[in-house]
Amino acid sequence: MRLNLLIGGQAGQGVNKISDIITNIIMKQGYFTFNYRDYPSLIRGGHNFNVISISDERIGSFESKLDGIIALNEKTLQLHKNKLKKGGFILTFKEFEDLGKNINISLAGALMKVLGIDKKLLIEKLKEELYVKGAVSAAEKGYQSQEVRFKLKKLNNKVSGMTGTQGIVQGAINSGIDFYFAYPMTPATGVLHELAGKAKKGRFKVFQSGNEIEAVNAALGASFAGARVMVGTSGGGFDLMTEALSFQGQSEIPLTIYLASRPGPGTGVPTYTAQSDLDIALRGGHGEFPRVVIAPGDPTECIEKTNEAIYLAEKFGALSVILSDKHLAESEFSSDRKPNKPLQIEIKRKIPGKSIVKASGYEHLFNGDTTENAEITRKNAEKRLKKYEEIKKEVKKFEMVKVFGNKNSKNLIIGWGSSKTVILDAISGLDWKFLQVLYLKPLSDEIKKEMEKARKVVVVEGNVTGQLGRLIREKTGIKIENRILKYDSRPFLSDKLREELKKKK
Amino acid sequence: MTTQITWCPGCTNFAILNAVKNIIKGKEKEFAITTGIGCHGKIYDYLDTSGVYCLHGRTLPVAFGIKMARPELKVMAFSGDGDIYAEGISHLIHMFRYDADLTLVVHDNRVFSLTTGQPTPTTEKGFKSKASPQGVKEKPLNPIKLALASGCKFVARASTLHPQQLQEILERAVEHKGFSFVEILQPCIIFHNDSEMIKKKAYKIEKKLPYKEAWEKACEWDYDDGGKIPIGIFYEV
Repeated sequence: MRLNLLIGGQAGQGVNKISDIITNIIMKQGYFTFNYRDYPSLIRGGHNFNVISISDERIGSFESKLDGIIALNEKTLQLHKNKLKKGGFILTFKEFEDLGKNINISLAGALMKVLGIDKKLLIEKLKEELYVKGAVSAAEKGYQSQEVRFKLKKLNNKVSGMTGTQGIVQGAINSGIDFYFAYPMTPATGVLHELAGKAKKGRFKVFQSGNEIEAVNAALGASFAGARVMVGTSGGGFDLMTEALSFQGQSEIPLTIYLASRPGPGTGVPTYTAQSDLDIALRGGHGEFPRVVIAPGDPTECIEKTNEAIYLAEKFGALSVILSDKHLAESEFSSDRKPNKPLQIEIKRKIPGKSIVKASGYEHLFNGDTTENAEITRKNAEKRLKKYEEIKKEVKKFEMVKVFGNKNSKNLIIGWGSSKTVILDAISGLDWKFLQVLYLKPLSDEIKKEMEKARKVVVVEGNVTGQLGRLIREKTGIKIENRILKYDSRPFLSDKLREELKKKK
Repeated sequence: MTTQITWCPGCTNFAILNAVKNIIKGKEKEFAITTGIGCHGKIYDYLDTSGVYCLHGRTLPVAFGIKMARPELKVMAFSGDGDIYAEGISHLIHMFRYDADLTLVVHDNRVFSLTTGQPTPTTEKGFKSKASPQGVKEKPLNPIKLALASGCKFVARASTLHPQQLQEILERAVEHKGFSFVEILQPCIIFHNDSEMIKKKAYKIEKKLPYKEAWEKACEWDYDDGGKIPIGIFYEV
């Protein structure tokens, strides 16, 4: 069973909020959901919509054809009607225009009836989360306006929802971070908001800096002084931080950066998605120094991999980059899986106040003092190389890649990041094996082995140059000719991807 | 310390180094310093205290991070004029706003020395260099006015030609609760030697000034040819 419902309206009409409430009620009924959020870069007006996908099996995507449209304004109907399946339903604002700000709530009530869900669940949720005047009667009015079309009877699954943003936040808290530094930039801002909201009760502090350069340098200062730190940004902010990444490489002050991508170049398409910043995550910063780049593919992995990133940064005095994107950060995924137990992160290094400690951006002696000596420069470069070898050994403890689908299949898909869950949905029931790459640096040796076992290899990613494909070629010498690339700033849709994969057979 | 000092013989930076050494002597573990890049930054190697040798312009945010994580440390950020008034100017203005309890020490020689003599934001009009063969056309920045206008609660100007007063000002700055700003006139004897001019024009600020008078005093010398040069604490609240 699978349903795709679109809820649309103007910014400010409460499209996202009501989608959130509906999704949560459906998950409580034991169904898996995926809640995609689509909005332009403006505050009021425009056209926002969510697509809520519902299934009795695990899902992590939405599809192009709609079973229902819930329209808070006329534009929603105009823009999306052509995607409605034959026999699909429409719930419109027209019946509830007199309710003003509560139109979204009345339509949620109407939807509950259509889906055959008890209205009490909605009313309870409204009282908990969105108590505005007239909310309950608006929900009742909506409920009474419809007939039951589907019967979503309660299932036994224990499903809960989480965005990638919330996963990063949980991972950071599990790691015992002391400070989070950021300058607002979509789609990384969610982590700033969530952590700031939790900072009062938590044992950590959040600081919104004057710019990204200040954020990353303040983080380095705090880390030098013995704190566990994280910095969050998107592509443009990451560009500004790159000199500090290089400084990290020389000073070896532990640093973890959360990089949530959006389409570039330039300001690009700021509220939409892309996987086009892998190159800068891997290479941003001058000179040669070790780093770790990890791309989680769902919120549970966000929790686990954020913890690993912070652990590795502290253990090796290294730079860790957690690479996500708008689609992973802001979509709400559902899951019945619990994350792994977090690694404890202890600070064993010397810290100022207790010892004399020096950290430098210059090439330096063991005690931190500056040197321009050729021999020491050579040895230090080799030391940094050796550190990377040690990191490579250490990360073998972690899941650097995962294999899904038909494990005996000769048809191999390789993908990373937010494409993971949509690939899983697309290959469901087909003769494909899926290799998810979580560690982009260091890169697992398993990738080459899997490629050698396969007859057909396809790489799937959300950029125009095939950045993972190029990376694999660099490391293995194997060029992947078969690519499915999407670079229209919108995420992959599972049904469309499935069609494309069938063409590759 | 085994580090060889690589400032030029007779460099005025020695006066700042001596003053700071006197201040942290016996309390080395209680301090943490940060430096930018330029001749001033070498002080990182010459002081036996914890510190970070930051990138050009980034001394303040790193110092701020250290103070956030370990408030018990006395934090001093060192910078040059190119470092903080050119590359790092945004950090300076935000730091005035944040008023974190740390001290900024600016070694202002009014020239980029380590890169061999280009003008900085505090270089006077008409200054000729390889980068400005026809002379600097822009009006210089007056950092004292900037600090006062930005709400800084400890604003001072010292001079390496007045070493005793320099040390007193730095001591007061370190004691000050909140952000303290000390601009030090530190003539570069190679690329911008205005020692004679400073000697001739400098005079000591004798008493505590209310804001309005502090502002008027800051306007007496605009890093140009005119006026007398007040040295001392302009404003402290």
